Amino acid sequence: MSELVAIFFGMALVNNMVLVKFLGLCPFFGVSKNLSSAFSMGVAVLLVMLVASAVTWPLFHILLVPSGVEFMRTVIFILVIASLVQIIEMAIKRTNLTLYNALGIYLPLITTNCAVLGITFINIDNEYSFLGSIAAALGAGAGFTLVLVIMSGIRERLDLADTPKVFRGAPIAFIIAGLLGLAFLAFGGMVG
Amino acid sequence: MTATILSVVSLSAVGLIAGIAIFVANRILPKEDESLQRASEIKELLPGADCGACGQPGCFAYAQALAKDVKILDDSPCRILAKDEEATKNLGEYLGVDLASAGPGSKAIIHCTGDSPAIGSYNGVGTCAAAVLVGAGEKECPYACVGYGDCAAVCPTNAISIDAQKRVAFVDWEKCIGCGMCVKTCPRELIELVSAEMPQYLGCNYRAAKDVAGRKKCTVGCIHCRICVRSSEGGETEWDESKDLPRFVGVPATAAIEKCPRKIILKTAAFPADLVSAPSSEAEASE
Repeated sequence: MSELVAIFFGMALVNNMVLVKFLGLCPFFGVSKNLSSAFSMGVAVLLVMLVASAVTWPLFHILLVPSGVEFMRTVIFILVIASLVQIIEMAIKRTNLTLYNALGIYLPLITTNCAVLGITFINIDNEYSFLGSIAAALGAGAGFTLVLVIMSGIRERLDLADTPKVFRGAPIAFIIAGLLGLAFLAFGGMVG
Repeated sequence: MTATILSVVSLSAVGLIAGIAIFVANRILPKEDESLQRASEIKELLPGADCGACGQPGCFAYAQALAKDVKILDDSPCRILAKDEEATKNLGEYLGVDLASAGPGSKAIIHCTGDSPAIGSYNGVGTCAAAVLVGAGEKECPYACVGYGDCAAVCPTNAISIDAQKRVAFVDWEKCIGCGMCVKTCPRELIELVSAEMPQYLGCNYRAAKDVAGRKKCTVGCIHCRICVRSSEGGETEWDESKDLPRFVGVPATAAIEKCPRKIILKTAAFPADLVSAPSSEAEASE
C-alpha cells in the first residue's frame, strides 16, 4: 500500500508530467488561459490516462511479451488509446450532454496528447505492477491537473497585471512556466 | 521472420478488436438525443452572436432550450432575431408557431456626454470597474462616464465606441441589438435600455438636485431647472422624482430640446427627420 502511495505522489509531484518530464506541453500553454476550462481538461486527461493504463498494461504483458514483439508497443498503444478516446467520447456524448459540452474540443485533442502515451510507457519501463500503474496514472493525471490549475490561476491574474509590452501574452507565460518548473524541482529530494 | 508475422498479426488483431469495441459501444450506448439534432438545426436559424441577452450561455444553449420548449420565446426572446423580419419568419416556420409580432426592440443609451474636467490622473488597472473602486475615476463629476470601455468590451456587436478625447462612451444605434449586456456592466449605471422608437434622451445622469456645486462640475450637466417639463405641451416630458431628472415618454419633445439651457436633451436616430426645427436647420445651411 505504501508503495502505491509513493508511486502516486512520485508521479504527481516529483516526476510531474508537465514540469519535470516536459510531456503534454501543448495543453499546458493552450488550455491554461482560464481556470474552469483548465480544470475540465485536467480531469479529462486524468480519466483517459487511467483507462489507457488499465488497458495497455494487460495488453503488453499478456499479448506483446509472450509473442516477443515488445517493439510494437508504440504503434499498438497509439491505436488502443485512439479507440479508447473515441469510445469515451461517444459514451459521454450520449449519456451526459452537459459534460460533453463542457469538455468540448479537449476530449478529441487528448488522443494526440503525448502525456497519455507517456504514462503508458512509464508504467512499462518502471516495471510497475498492474495496481502500481493505476496509481501512477492517477498520480500523473492529478499532477497534470494541479499544474494546469496553478498555471491558469496565475495567467488569469497576469491578464490584469501591468506587464511590460514585450512580455505580454506568450512570453510571460513561458517565463512563468520556467519558474514553476524550478519550484517543482524542489520536490526532487522528497520521495526517492 | 516469425517476429515480422507476429507483429503484423498482433497489430491487426488489436486493430480489429478496437474496431469491434467501437462498433459494440455504438450499439450498446443509448442513441443520441433527438433534441440535439433538432437543436443544431434551430441554431442555424439563430443569429449566432452568442451575446447571452436571452439568458442562455450562447446560441446553442438557447437552441437546446427552444428544442425542449418553444414557450421560452415569450419569456426571453432573442433580441437580435426580433430585428430581422425574415429570420423571425424562418424560425417561426421551423418551430410551427407565429412569431409575427416582434415589436420595435430596444436600444442602449448612455446618460453622459463626458465634458466633466479631469481632476487627477489614474494609472491603475484599465477598466471602469477598477477605476470606480479605487477613487471614482479621474473626472470631477461623480456621475460621469469613466471612459475605460467596460461596456465596449462586452458589446457583442461592437456598437459602443469610446471618444478618446472626452473619455465617454457612445452607442451606434445601427449596430446596437439591445441585448443589455452593457447595462449590467457599467459600474456607474449610466446606460439604460429604451425603446428603439424613443426620439430623445437626456445626456446626463447628475442626480443630486440640491447639490448646487454639482452644476459647476460639468458644462453639460443637468441643472434640474425643469424647463423641459414646463415647456412640455402634451406631457411628452415627465419629472422622475426618484432620480430628479426628466424622463421622456417616447413622443418627440421638440420644445424641450430647444429650451434646455444646457442643450443636453439629445436626439436619437429614431427622431423623425421632418420635425427638425426650421431655424436651426437654416442656420446649418447658411454656415
